[in-house]
Amino acid sequence: MTDYTERYVAAVVRRLPQDTQEDVRTELNASIADDIDARMDQGATHEDAERDVLTAMGDPDALSAGYADRPLHLIGPKYYLTWWRLLKLLWIIVLPCAMGGVALAQVLAGAGPGETIGQVIGVTLGAFVHIGFWTTVVFVILERTGADTVEEWTPDNLPEPQDDGAGRGELIASLALLGVGAAALIADRLFGILWLSGDRMMVMNPGLWPWWIAGLFVLIVADAARAIAVYVRRGWTVGLAAFNTALTLVGSVTAIVLLARGAAINPGLVEFFIREGADDDIGAVLAAVLAFAIAAIAIVDIFVGWRRALVARKAC
Amino acid sequence: MTEGEAQAEAYSTHLQEVRRGTVVLACLYLLRDAGYGYGLLEALQAAGFQTDANTLYPLLRRLEKQGYLTSAWNTDEARPRKFYRTSPEGERLAEALADEWHTLTRAIDGVTRTARKDRS
Repeated sequence: MTDYTERYVAAVVRRLPQDTQEDVRTELNASIADDIDARMDQGATHEDAERDVLTAMGDPDALSAGYADRPLHLIGPKYYLTWWRLLKLLWIIVLPCAMGGVALAQVLAGAGPGETIGQVIGVTLGAFVHIGFWTTVVFVILERTGADTVEEWTPDNLPEPQDDGAGRGELIASLALLGVGAAALIADRLFGILWLSGDRMMVMNPGLWPWWIAGLFVLIVADAARAIAVYVRRGWTVGLAAFNTALTLVGSVTAIVLLARGAAINPGLVEFFIREGADDDIGAVLAAVLAFAIAAIAIVDIFVGWRRALVARKAC
Repeated sequence: MTEGEAQAEAYSTHLQEVRRGTVVLACLYLLRDAGYGYGLLEALQAAGFQTDANTLYPLLRRLEKQGYLTSAWNTDEARPRKFYRTSPEGERLAEALADEWHTLTRAIDGVTRTARKDRS
């Protein structure tokens, strides 16, 4: 007869601390029995009364959570915004790095296009899921242990609207640009990014693979780190401007030297242009144009970094 | 769903918001005379407070843990019952809550009266 009540009470106390279990069990048994008696006094059978009482009490796990003061949500309003902001930031920073790293490793290992794309998709999906899962686990534990790590919001936390190179928009733009550059290099190796008269052509000299291009990837990763540092520090510093100068000089000088030696551009591409009727010195012309463009971009890049660092220092 | 039912459902969360907190106040006053779980549930319902067993029972334990109620087991009868009583701290909390309630009542009276005057 008391089968349902017994099972119900057992389900409620099961997840309570040991020392309160007996107390809650006895009290809840009495409360349920009182309620059943009251309904039987009004003419209900014991079975019906018991059913009605337990139905009204609802899910035993919910009642148990009430007794133990456990939250019935994974992440409550106290932590939700911190959790979501951190998760988005981690995804933005880690996923492009994982993509670029895996793609580079695959190409250096001599993998074909299909295998490389498959690996990149697999690893990126895995990183996405892992970051989401583990970050959430940490916050679920925080929610249940009541640790107080949430920073009080003040108006100082508002995002800066002015364009001082420190904004999230600039970070995303920088990382996207570097990502596109890295993807173009890899695509160039895998398929050749130029499509000329039905033939795919590499732009970069295949002889630059793997070590020269690996060096270029190191520079790309370093520049991505520089962009993240500018974002985290909320602006340029003199140290970051110096680092940026060193990176840009190494990258541009190396590129210009390689261009001057005629080692940067795919010789097959130059031959193709000559076959199509270009002058014999087309290779040198191309190299000169590219070298000047790279030098101009490098100078502007170095100059902008220093200007922002000095303006930021003056403002403090 | 009829229009009336839809309206009742739309109102229910708002009504619940208003009622939240009144149960604590009512318990603290009713438990000046010691009472046990189901007896208190009936007393609350008789007094006009719509309360569910599954919110009341954990609430009693919480208030006890916070020191606003004291408890003692009565094993004289066949069915052992846990009796709760409002502690001196609970009395002070009840007074503070009642003051807040009266302040709110006056405030609500104020805005509804102004609203009625504006309409007429």
